[in-house]
Amino acid sequence: MPPLRVHRFTALGGPCALHVQADGDEAVRAGEAEVLRIETKYSRYRDDSIVSRINAAAGTEAVEVDDETAALLDYAATVYEQSGGLFDITSGVLRRAWDFKAQRVPAQAEIDALLPLIGWHRVTWSRPYLRLPQAGMQIDFGGFGKEYAADRVVAVLAAHGVRHGLVDLSGDIRVVGPHADGSPWQIGVQHPRAEGAVATVPLARGAIASSGDYERGFVRDGRRYSHLLDPRSGWPVDGLAAVSVLADQCLIAGTAATCAMLLGAERGPAWLAALGLPYLIVDAQLRLGGSIAGS
Amino acid sequence: MKNDERRTRPAAAGPSLSALTAAALALPGLAQAQVETDLLYSRYEEADLPGSREANGQDSERYEIDTYLFRLAAPLGDQAFVANVTYETLSGASPWYVQPRQPGVDDTPVQVMSGASIREQRTDVQLSWALPLAGIDWGVTLGYSTEDDYRATSGGIEFEYTPQGVAHTISGGIGYSYDKIEPERGASSPDVIAEADKDSLSAFAGVSWVLNAKTVLQTAISYGLHDGFLSDPYKRAYVADGPTLVADSRPGEREQFTVSARLRRYLSGIGAALHADYRFYRDDWDIEAHTLELAWHQMLAESWRLTPSLRWYSQSQASFYAPYYQSLRSDGLASSDYRLSPYGAVAVRVDLRKALPDDWEIGGGAEWYEADGSYAIDTVEVENPGLVEFLILNLRLGKRF
Repeated sequence: MPPLRVHRFTALGGPCALHVQADGDEAVRAGEAEVLRIETKYSRYRDDSIVSRINAAAGTEAVEVDDETAALLDYAATVYEQSGGLFDITSGVLRRAWDFKAQRVPAQAEIDALLPLIGWHRVTWSRPYLRLPQAGMQIDFGGFGKEYAADRVVAVLAAHGVRHGLVDLSGDIRVVGPHADGSPWQIGVQHPRAEGAVATVPLARGAIASSGDYERGFVRDGRRYSHLLDPRSGWPVDGLAAVSVLADQCLIAGTAATCAMLLGAERGPAWLAALGLPYLIVDAQLRLGGSIAGS
Repeated sequence: MKNDERRTRPAAAGPSLSALTAAALALPGLAQAQVETDLLYSRYEEADLPGSREANGQDSERYEIDTYLFRLAAPLGDQAFVANVTYETLSGASPWYVQPRQPGVDDTPVQVMSGASIREQRTDVQLSWALPLAGIDWGVTLGYSTEDDYRATSGGIEFEYTPQGVAHTISGGIGYSYDKIEPERGASSPDVIAEADKDSLSAFAGVSWVLNAKTVLQTAISYGLHDGFLSDPYKRAYVADGPTLVADSRPGEREQFTVSARLRRYLSGIGAALHADYRFYRDDWDIEAHTLELAWHQMLAESWRLTPSLRWYSQSQASFYAPYYQSLRSDGLASSDYRLSPYGAVAVRVDLRKALPDDWEIGGGAEWYEADGSYAIDTVEVENPGLVEFLILNLRLGKRF
């Protein structure tokens, strides 16, 4: 039986690990290359990325996009609808007001100035042409690019004959298959306030992705400011500390977790329950809930 | 702070997993759906009918059924195809009619079994196709079943829909079946009808309510209408005046209604789920029935899952049923079938599943079932002697590709 090897690298803004049972490192190299391809293609920090080209053309003409980008935009449009407009790939412009590194709370006027630039409903999307109607508008795939990459890497590993493996992109995880003996991978779900896991979830197939207020958030004057911003008010959402969702695709698990965080403590749990996927919620009082709580 | 402003925004609820899945599977390389295959063997064995309940005073062997089921589920993009092929062999004696133990002396009803040991084969093919269309999940089914003396063709369509803005799912469906019987002649049935048929229509509607993060309640109503030959061509009824045997004869129409509620509760901390199901049934033959089932799904270490369950059932009798008749009813109806008699039943079941390397899965289970007058809600004054007790053992092997 081939050995279990772990290939680590940094990409998409965080630590990546490919746990793969395979001879040689051809499969993991191809996996890493796929992550880098997606990072290069969709990075908003690179002027030559498709995202930068779209954003640079805001307020001018439509940009024609390739099939993969078009499918991602279709997916973003679907999640926008299914979340009642809370999951919005045009909300990244709020970063101009919110600097989570500097831990600075912006003035309301700064946010108000940005709100007219936000709203997927303002965008003209007629496959394959995308047009951002106003200069200063921007889109980014930061909300699901990492999860999509996890799914893509699994496809690449499977194409290289890998049957047993796990792809971990900064905690968003999809497995290629269970361990060689059929037993599931034991996935620790990050505790939102402390080191270590708040729960352990067995995963033999599919994906688990998490979203929480612990990522890039800060506490100021006793209030926690999450990096998850409501696209309509421009302010951080609050209510839930963390959400993890299990799904066949990491993309769906990740967007579902993010949507639940955006919906908050009141509506998030019912939204997830209606979606029908297994999930785990940690509320602001650090109580566990959800269909896989305690597993 | 802007919280208050956010609260006034319209709720976003009732998301559709199929909409997300359809959009995700349109991405290159994400449609990594797996083909699932299952092989199931099941052995159904009825307990011997004790001599004390038989007219000839001797124990009698009853039905045995061996079932082989092959299932194939193949996803294709956001659609899915499922095929189930079942092959069964059935053998043994079955209840023929009921008579008084000693007419005029001891009127305790006792069973007379069919003399011939029946051996039959049944092949059944069920195909289904699931597809999302216009925000609704649709399912289309087609079925064909054939036995030595029986043929059934069926079809149906069903849907499931989660409206925007609510936390419940609506489902519904209709089905139709055409059944044709061409009975065989034998020692127990020298004078059966040549052939007969029936049409069956069914419809259901259900709502699945998300009560909270850990509890789901599914409620449903269903309706069934059967029209045609609904009697059992191989059974007889005993009429004391005469005495004489008449053919099993039931009304040519039957309307059935059910109301059901299924509760699913996930239990934190112990990796388990409790399923509690209740069903009320009523038909225009005057049978009323209650079914209550409790199942406990327990995840055990790693890849094991254990599911014990308990089922209780109680029904009242059909209006025209009697163990035997003093004289023929004016409407000519007659049936001594234990399935139309008043009785109750309990069943205990346990299933065990284990995941194995390379996407294999094995499982097995056992169910013991006993029907008895004393399990019924109402007092059963005269119990049908043919009430059944059986044991089912099954083995399952599954593989994903």
